[in-house]
Amino acid sequence: MIEIGAITGLATVQDGGRPGHMHDGVPPGGPLVPELLGRANAAARNAPGEAAIEAFGGLTLVARAPVVLASDDGEARVLAIGEAYALRREETAVRYVAVRGGIAVPVVFGGRGTLLVAAFGGHEGRPLRRGDVLRAGDAPPEHRPPGLPVDTAPAVPVVLGPDLDRFDAETIDAFLASTFTIDARSDRVGTRLSGTRLVCAPDPGAPSAPMVRGAIQVPPSGEPIVLGPDHPTTGGYPVIATVVRRHLGSLAARPIGATVRFVT
Amino acid sequence: MSLLLRPFGDGALRAHLPEGANARAVLDALRAVPRVVDAIVTERHAVVSFEPEARPDGLAEAIERALSAGSAASAPRDHIVRVRYEGEDLDELAIRAGLAPADVISLHAEGTYVVALVGFLPGFGYLRGLDPRLVVPRRANPRPRILPLSVAVAGPYTGIYPFASPGGWNLIGTAVGFSPFDVRSGAALALGDRVRFVRDGS
Repeated sequence: MIEIGAITGLATVQDGGRPGHMHDGVPPGGPLVPELLGRANAAARNAPGEAAIEAFGGLTLVARAPVVLASDDGEARVLAIGEAYALRREETAVRYVAVRGGIAVPVVFGGRGTLLVAAFGGHEGRPLRRGDVLRAGDAPPEHRPPGLPVDTAPAVPVVLGPDLDRFDAETIDAFLASTFTIDARSDRVGTRLSGTRLVCAPDPGAPSAPMVRGAIQVPPSGEPIVLGPDHPTTGGYPVIATVVRRHLGSLAARPIGATVRFVT
Repeated sequence: MSLLLRPFGDGALRAHLPEGANARAVLDALRAVPRVVDAIVTERHAVVSFEPEARPDGLAEAIERALSAGSAASAPRDHIVRVRYEGEDLDELAIRAGLAPADVISLHAEGTYVVALVGFLPGFGYLRGLDPRLVVPRRANPRPRILPLSVAVAGPYTGIYPFASPGGWNLIGTAVGFSPFDVRSGAALALGDRVRFVRDGS
């Protein structure tokens, strides 16, 4: 058992996600940065998508029973009763803390992750607070190599479209030539980008269309939003490009103020 | 003529549907295709998602078969939703529509609606079938928080907010005794389902 001590910034329980329910309006969820959840879980000898804590800020955990705990630095620690572990904010936007056996929260609608907009999953469907007590699960141990930390330096590969007919050639060129900055309003719903404003032909009658994680929507403000794991399943803004799936973590790991470029 | 499927990233494809397509039939057909992880169909688009290294085959054919068959594998359901018509925007909507508030209520409660798409929030159904006199745009200033079970109209749609959420729809009432989303059974409203509203207490 671990108790949440000091907490700064949003922290929730997240796992590998609940894919397959978009037709019910339920987004796929899952970790913002799969590589980092996988590293924390590998160090705790869990399966890569086991439920763990995803934290946007600093976090202190206190053991209420002996526990094996690991963060995305890839090192496991044994905590005795009363011992504390402090997860510090590092250079990535979010960090992960796994416990051996996973965090024992119920499977809700196919996953253990928190979906804040619908207030279900995770720990009581809400962000973690000081004083919350989380139990370790009893998932059998797995032995896997920890994997590499996520690389947030390179340009992020995208597939252009599917709404290219809403943008002219200059705008598409500007999108690929620009360096964007991660905006402070970013969260699990979407990563907001500032910098170049992209022009798209207004179409107030555009019907709501299905969306996927990684879709780069261009709202009327011209500042793109890259949809995150908890995105609305439908949306009315045109999509200029979509992030290649295995690079979603590289984008989502970039903290506020970091930069990103996109390449085809 | 073969249906065009455009890449939507490397893990999804999107098709443009003809006007009047039976969305429920398309959704049922796509979900039955092997290796499809998820499918979502709106009024003019169908999207399937999959693992990038396991792309499904036969998607265009599945959509075409569903479009020509016209009926879905699963039968649509009927829902009756009780509403307390005392929404904050009822009077303003009546003014914009040139009607008395009582007429707005009667017109809304007399309609028969069809779930045209499910999306935005878990269990949020966009219902078609609104009387043309009640078709007004969204509010110019969206509210930061709309209460769950609010019944609202915007453009050609009416719908029920399943969860507290920001939103720009015009609020006309509150659903009573209805659960738009349940964590065991999912969304109450599915594509093609029929919905009627009745005035609570009548």
